Amino acid sequence: MPIQIVMDRSGDRRHPFNSDDAQELAKAEQRFYELTNAGFTAAVRTGPGQTSHLRSFDPTAEETVFFPRLVGG
Amino acid sequence: MFGFRPWPPGGRSRISATRALFIRHGAEGTPEGRSLRLLREWLSPAQREQFARKGYFEVVGSDSGKRYRIHAGASVNVCEIDKRGRLQEGLCFMPIGALPIGDVMLAQKIALETCEGQARAVARRFTPNNFHFRQSRPLG
Repeated sequence: MPIQIVMDRSGDRRHPFNSDDAQELAKAEQRFYELTNAGFTAAVRTGPGQTSHLRSFDPTAEETVFFPRLVGG
Repeated sequence: MFGFRPWPPGGRSRISATRALFIRHGAEGTPEGRSLRLLREWLSPAQREQFARKGYFEVVGSDSGKRYRIHAGASVNVCEIDKRGRLQEGLCFMPIGALPIGDVMLAQKIALETCEGQARAVARRFTPNNFHFRQSRPLG
């Protein structure tokens, strides 16, 4: 089952969804754009240790991680 | 006389393995523990082994092909390295929001591997030394 993992101070919030269910898929897509519009970066694993920046919602992505905007320390 | 008995053969290593298992299990229930587990899942086998053995792992920048070392830490923990592995420029950047250490390191890895220029653009530079990267406890 695909999952969206949103990093936060509790570690992460996990949102699994059924990609065969149109309602759940729409909710996952909405979450994707809400987060990326708020400055989060979305990334998927493309292989062992390999990552790719996701700029639009991919319903086939098995695991998407979202992290907040980067700032200098 | 006082009830002390010698360890049975292999008993000490079994106890230490059990202790490590308890600590690991307990730690994974915390935000930091969960974030470190997620980080380990997203590392390549080579990066995972490097992190476990050395307390840091290396990534390759998406734009320049430069190598970076990400040390255990939530700030002042990223350093560009040369071909011989010598420390070059330090980069300090992290996601906003006081995230646990594993999440910060995973965000730094993803950023350097997928949008290096963006990460470098926001990063504060520092001159690295070993003091910055000393490890107080094993996290890998």
